Amino acid sequence: MNERRDDKLTAAARQLATEIKPQRDLWPDIERAIAAPEPRRSRWTPMFAQAAAVVLLVGASSGLTYLAVKDDRPVVITQPTPEYTFERASFGSSYTLGRDYLATRADVVARFEQQVERLSPAERQDVERSLEVIRGAIDDINAALQQDPDNTLLQDLLMKTYHEELNVMRKVGGVTQSVMSRRDI
Amino acid sequence: MAALLMMETGDNMAGMVSRTATSMRDDAALVARAAAGDTRAFEALYRAHVDRVYGLCLRMTGNVGEAEDCAQEAFIQAWKKLGKFRGDSAFGTWMHRIAVNAVLGRIRKSKREQDRIQVAAEMGSSPASIGDSGNLRDLSDAIDRLPEGARHVFVLNAVYGYTHEESSDMLGVAVGTTKAQLHRARRLLAQQLEEQGFEA
Repeated sequence: MNERRDDKLTAAARQLATEIKPQRDLWPDIERAIAAPEPRRSRWTPMFAQAAAVVLLVGASSGLTYLAVKDDRPVVITQPTPEYTFERASFGSSYTLGRDYLATRADVVARFEQQVERLSPAERQDVERSLEVIRGAIDDINAALQQDPDNTLLQDLLMKTYHEELNVMRKVGGVTQSVMSRRDI
Repeated sequence: MAALLMMETGDNMAGMVSRTATSMRDDAALVARAAAGDTRAFEALYRAHVDRVYGLCLRMTGNVGEAEDCAQEAFIQAWKKLGKFRGDSAFGTWMHRIAVNAVLGRIRKSKREQDRIQVAAEMGSSPASIGDSGNLRDLSDAIDRLPEGARHVFVLNAVYGYTHEESSDMLGVAVGTTKAQLHRARRLLAQQLEEQGFEA
């Protein structure tokens, strides 16, 4: 029964058209694409991005760790300053960030925005500078990934950099929360 | 092997095979010229193979716009890789491999498969049925409604006559997977077509 059914299906499938004319001529677009000079893949850019990102991350991470372990700071409530703008996270041009990561990030960003206002202006400036450095690195790596989308080193580095961004924001949350609880007690 | 298999697959296939047999030498000459940078030669290759490449893309994606993009991408990739074409297989088969990669790459990239199924269901008659008539149009539409994996295997095996080994190689899955997907595709197609009173 099933065999007969499969035979009928196979016979019918083999009568389907295998050659179908496109509704428009695709050649002009293809010709344009192959005539355009191939963007020169610079080995320098990815390597520079990797090296720069590593250096910047170490610096940013050290700064935030220092902030996190500093003792006995008074709670300083500053006047609200212009909102931080969090651009939508991206991952090169060929991949997208996972839903879990984006959800976690949105949560951390929301908490960060609340907590960062409790820092002193100087500390806040440090945090801002650190995040700026990390986001600059993310932009650099993303740009390098657009030129070299399959570079696994860059992909890995970008993942770590996003992770580092989350850590920085979490640390800020930790610092302000611990300061607040000491005062409360 | 693929050529032998295709000879058994009906009139349209036989026509294609005879054309392939006579044009393989032409293809080889055109490939050599195109690999040296002759875009006119590459255009001739495009004209000779676009219907078959586009046909495969359309059957695999079920969407005219995506099929056009995939076919374009396949030819652009082919141009870049012409130097690597050794002539071990026919140029048309080589192009098919590149087209399958273009389709799979696009699906991975866009992740719009779910949207596509919804749109196809809403549209009723799918654009992939272009070129088919009568009962074949029903079959074509039913193929288009198959889940992605089953559809890809059915198109390559049943419509284009590739063996399980060839399909698994093109799709980057195990032979056992293509066999299971083909079985699943047939079962789902039979269910769909039975409801429509399809007679092959």
